[in-house]
Amino acid sequence: MAKSKTTHTVLLRRLIQTVFLAIFFYLFYQLAYHPDNQTVGPTGLFFNLDPLIMLTVWFGGHAVASALLLSFITLISALIFGRWFCGWVCPFGALNNLFTSFRSGKRKDKLKEASYTPGQKTKYYIVVAVLAGSLFGINMAGWLDPFSFLYRSFATAVFPAVNAMFQGIFDWFYNVNPIGMKAISEPVYRLMRGYFLTLAQPHYYWGMLFGLLFGIIIAMNFFRARFWCRYICPLGGLLGIVGKNSAIRLNVDAEKCKNCMECVVECQGGAEPQSNETWKASECVYCWNCHSVCPTKAITFEFKAPGVRS
Amino acid sequence: MNILKWVSNFFNPPKEQKMDLGRRNVIAAGVAGLAGGLLAKVNPLDRGRTYNPGLIRPPGSLSEEEFLEKCIRCGECMKVCPTNVIQPTMLEAGMEGLWSPILKQELAYCEYKCNMCTQVCPTDAIKKMTLEEKQKVKIGLAYVDRSRCLPYAYARPCQVCYEQCPLTEKAIRLEDVSATTASGSKVTVKQPHVNAELCIGCGICQNKCPVSDQAAIRVTSVGETRNFRNQFLHADRYSG
Repeated sequence: MAKSKTTHTVLLRRLIQTVFLAIFFYLFYQLAYHPDNQTVGPTGLFFNLDPLIMLTVWFGGHAVASALLLSFITLISALIFGRWFCGWVCPFGALNNLFTSFRSGKRKDKLKEASYTPGQKTKYYIVVAVLAGSLFGINMAGWLDPFSFLYRSFATAVFPAVNAMFQGIFDWFYNVNPIGMKAISEPVYRLMRGYFLTLAQPHYYWGMLFGLLFGIIIAMNFFRARFWCRYICPLGGLLGIVGKNSAIRLNVDAEKCKNCMECVVECQGGAEPQSNETWKASECVYCWNCHSVCPTKAITFEFKAPGVRS
Repeated sequence: MNILKWVSNFFNPPKEQKMDLGRRNVIAAGVAGLAGGLLAKVNPLDRGRTYNPGLIRPPGSLSEEEFLEKCIRCGECMKVCPTNVIQPTMLEAGMEGLWSPILKQELAYCEYKCNMCTQVCPTDAIKKMTLEEKQKVKIGLAYVDRSRCLPYAYARPCQVCYEQCPLTEKAIRLEDVSATTASGSKVTVKQPHVNAELCIGCGICQNKCPVSDQAAIRVTSVGETRNFRNQFLHADRYSG
C-alpha cells in the first residue's frame, strides 16, 4: 500500500511543537545571572501554563501565584479540544514524540508498541494520588510533573554534561593542537562561550541520578510510543480527565475504512483510532497522524458530542 | 441534529465512550495519595530541637511546612544561581523534601548582590523580593570554630572572613588579643567574632576560609528569617 503524503495539519503540528520546544530551550538558556541586568523574562512560562501545579499549590498552600492562573487557559481549552496541549505545546511531549519517531522495526512490532494497553490508566491514578496528597499539604506534583522533570533534568544533568563535553573538546584542541586546528577552534570557543557555554562548569550533587532518570524515560520511547505521556505523565492524566468528553472528536467513516490499522501504528497516544467505538478521547493527543496516514481518508476530526453520529 | 442530545451527551456520554477507570482503583489511588500526604506530616523536621542545621533554604523561602506545600522541585533556582550554591536535596530535608533546593555552602556562597532565585520561582515557594529586601533576609548564622580558626587555635594572623563579609557594617568584629604561638613567642592576633544581629548567613566567610575540608567558620540554619522557632535562643526557654 502506497504511503499517503503527510498532511498540512501534521506539518503544522510539527512546526508548532518545534517552536514551543525552541521557546523552552531559549527560556532555559537565557535564565542566567547577568551582573548589570537582573530582571528576568517569562522564565516560568510552561510552569504557569501547567494546571497540575496550579491545583496542587492551591490545594496545599491555599494561595496561588497570580502567574499560575494562566493555566486556566490550558484547563478550559482541554474541555473543548481534549489533550491538544500534550500533542502541540508540551516541550517534553515534543521530545518524546521525536524519539518515538526514531523507532525502527517491523510493522507488526510497531503495531504492538503503538496499541492501547490497560496500563495507560496508571497516569490517572497518579494524578488522583498527587491531588489527594496535596490536600494535606505535601506537593508531590514536582516529582512527576513533566515540566519539573524536564527542567530539573536539563538544569542538573543534561546542560552541565553538554557544557563539560564542549569544554573537553575545546580543551583538547587547545592542548593537542592537531594540524594547527587551534586557530579555528579558539574563535569558535570564544563565540560559544558568550552564548551557549557557561564560564564556570556547573556542578550538581546527584546530577548523574537525574540524568539516568531522564535517559530511562527517553529510552522507553523505543519500547512504547510516547511512553511517558501514555503511562506516567500526571499532567496528561489531568488533561485527559478534563477532556474526556471533548467536543472535537475523531470520526471514522466505516464505509471507507479498510481495516489496514495504519492509523493504530502511527497513533502517538495509543487511543485506538480504528473506529468510533474504540477511540479514547482521554488518550488522544490530537496529533492528527491517523488522519494523515489513512490511505482512504476515512478518518476526520469533527466538532461533535460523544456518541452523536454526524 | 438534536441539540439537546448533543448537550446531554457532552456531559454524560453513552457507555462505550465513557472513561472506565474503575471506582475501586480511583478510591485506592486517592487513599494512597492521602496516606502519602499524612505520612509526610509525621516527620519531626520542623519541631523542637530536631532542626537539620544543614538545611539552609534559598533566601526568601517560606517556612518549611509552607515551602513543601509549594515547591515543585523544578530546579529553576538551581539553574539561575550564579555561584551554583543551590543544590538538589536527597535526604537533607527528609523524604518529602526530596530534590528540593538547599544551599551547600561548602561548595559556594549566596551572592549578596543577587536575588535571582527569588525572581524565578514559579510557585512563590521562594518569595519575590527586591535586592534590598533580600539583603535583609537571614538564611542562617555563621559561627567560629575556635579549635580550627587560625588566630584562636594556632595564634596565626588571619582575617579573611572579616574582609570577605559583604555587609558594609561587617557582621564580623575583630578583637586584638595577645596569644602564644607554638614556639612560645607572644604575638597579638585579631580574633573574629560573629555579630548575630547582623549576620545573614550568606556563607562567603565559610567559602573563603583558608582552612581546608571543614572551614573554621561555618553557617547553620539557626536564626533564619523564615522560621521564628529556629532562633539561637529559644524564646520559650530563655528570657534573660
